[in-house]
Amino acid sequence: MHMTSREIALLAIALLAIAGFSWFSPWFATVDNLLTILRNSSELLLIALGMTLVIAMGGVDVSVGVVMGVAAWAVGQLLLVNSPWLAALAGPLLGLLLGLITALVVVMGRIPAIVGTLGLFGVWRTGLFALLGGQWLSGLPGSLTSGLMHPLLGLPVMAWIIVLVWACVWLVLRHTPYGLWLLAAGNSEEKARLAGIPVTQVRIATFMISGLLCGIAATCYIATYRNVEMTVGGSLALEAIAAVVLGGTRITGGACSLLGTLLGVLLLRILQNGLLLVGIPSLWQTVVTGAVLLVVLSSEAASGRVIAFRRTA
Amino acid sequence: MSWWRKSPDLTLLSALWLLLAIGIVLVLPQMLASWSITSILQFATLLSLVALGQSFVVMSGGGGIDLSVGGNVSLSAVMGMLALHQGINPLWLPLICLLTGTLAGAINGWLIARLRLWPLIVTLGSFYLFSGLALALTSGAAVAGVPAELTQWGRGTQFFVPLPFLTCVIPAFLIAWLILSKSAWGKWIYACGFNEHATRLVGIPVDRLRFLTYCLSGMLAGCAGFVSLSWLGSARPEIGVNLELESLTAALLGGIAIFGGRGSVIGVLAAALMLVTIKTCMLQLGLNSVWQLGVVGILLIIVLMAQRLFIYRR
Repeated sequence: MHMTSREIALLAIALLAIAGFSWFSPWFATVDNLLTILRNSSELLLIALGMTLVIAMGGVDVSVGVVMGVAAWAVGQLLLVNSPWLAALAGPLLGLLLGLITALVVVMGRIPAIVGTLGLFGVWRTGLFALLGGQWLSGLPGSLTSGLMHPLLGLPVMAWIIVLVWACVWLVLRHTPYGLWLLAAGNSEEKARLAGIPVTQVRIATFMISGLLCGIAATCYIATYRNVEMTVGGSLALEAIAAVVLGGTRITGGACSLLGTLLGVLLLRILQNGLLLVGIPSLWQTVVTGAVLLVVLSSEAASGRVIAFRRTA
Repeated sequence: MSWWRKSPDLTLLSALWLLLAIGIVLVLPQMLASWSITSILQFATLLSLVALGQSFVVMSGGGGIDLSVGGNVSLSAVMGMLALHQGINPLWLPLICLLTGTLAGAINGWLIARLRLWPLIVTLGSFYLFSGLALALTSGAAVAGVPAELTQWGRGTQFFVPLPFLTCVIPAFLIAWLILSKSAWGKWIYACGFNEHATRLVGIPVDRLRFLTYCLSGMLAGCAGFVSLSWLGSARPEIGVNLELESLTAALLGGIAIFGGRGSVIGVLAAALMLVTIKTCMLQLGLNSVWQLGVVGILLIIVLMAQRLFIYRR
């Protein structure tokens, strides 16, 4: 498999970080801790996957974290009336619906995705508050957890679901016309339209897929944490964008790397976990995330070798 | 009717103001008291300063947006207070806040104008960096110990108008108005937002201009940070939360076109005042502050759709 220079660089940074953290903390390189890192990555893995598609299409969505929160509320509520199957399905369905609303606002309203989804972020945040009635949804039954955490071939079912979702998205992106259309629309909307590609439908579908993935993430979230708080998913959107951009997906659209996104998510989570184990307070996590994003991008732009992130003036 | 065609955004703003005023008179007449006007202006000081910087950034085009303003406000306030605790003269406090803000803005501007990185990603990264630093440096707690002379200025009023509003906001908007309408610099900003390619061909230094708008946005955020600590008596690391959403909404409601090249600062001030008035009304009605976020979000979407319908009509 051919790796781009960006993916190799990310892998190198991740390995370097792993080596460094293992040197400084005896707990970092244990099986338990590596499993913890993977478990903590599960929602971000799904949401960043949807974000990869959205950014590759030339959009961006800063409301994904809260969309996951609203879907998680629905999953939790249904779990309380004790129907784990229905609850597990409710997340993806509601995610799909909220994705459709995002698509209607951004695509049909023809407004810039960043500002439109920033507005929706505010709306969903308030909506979640109203739904929760100012209280945490907690003490949810463990039926969903026992189902999704049940070991299958050495890994919990949830891990297999995430692998399956990634495989599906890879197939759709690389082996269907939709995948080509998406990249073409991200590359140049006008040219894609002239080529007869149904750009509007492609954009709506992409936002809906992203919403669907947020919904699946919501089901995973409930299975893992079994509560919904008011600020759930607060920084997930920013982390997802950071992971996607770190992974080498072009921010203006038209080119993307799923492997890069995977490495980006893992790098972010490894850094966050390792810094904590080395004894740096968790408040520094956001600083490190921001610094890594800016340093990687600016060093690349300054070296001038890769022009993927350069704006065309 | 021709007025509506000429500036649909300002008409929308006036209509919203009218609606709000009628609502206040009918439902919340106590909001017309002088104390409430003072408190609205007090809260509006932060937002209008930040929204002014945001407006310059958006107006100069090129996908310009500054998501880091909130983090910058927090960071400037925190840095000012930390310096004060290191034993510097309180007289230097405003300078340190302004300098921190300008420097933070300059980092954004350098990455965007020089390295040509996309503004959305740069300011997203620096939003993380600044707000994270503000929290980490203080462990999340407010830094108290602002000298009494400063809080006297920060909380003082003159004819119901808070002193920070009189001495920071009004001069800032006056200068901004003068720059935009009377100086070549202002014409250049409109020009490079309106048609970047043509502006470059004419020989206007587009990159330097954009660098300066990010510095300016940072400086105004620093000023807002200084106002916040002299008003609240402490530097709060979370004072800037959600300011990026609110300042963008204020700028766009005020008639700044999202793709640049269009807008006036007077509208921005009116829009910022309106957002804060709505906020205060909701507090008076006993609604949780989360509801403001939803209202601001809906307003943002409405004004964008209106811009699409009436300004960028294809």
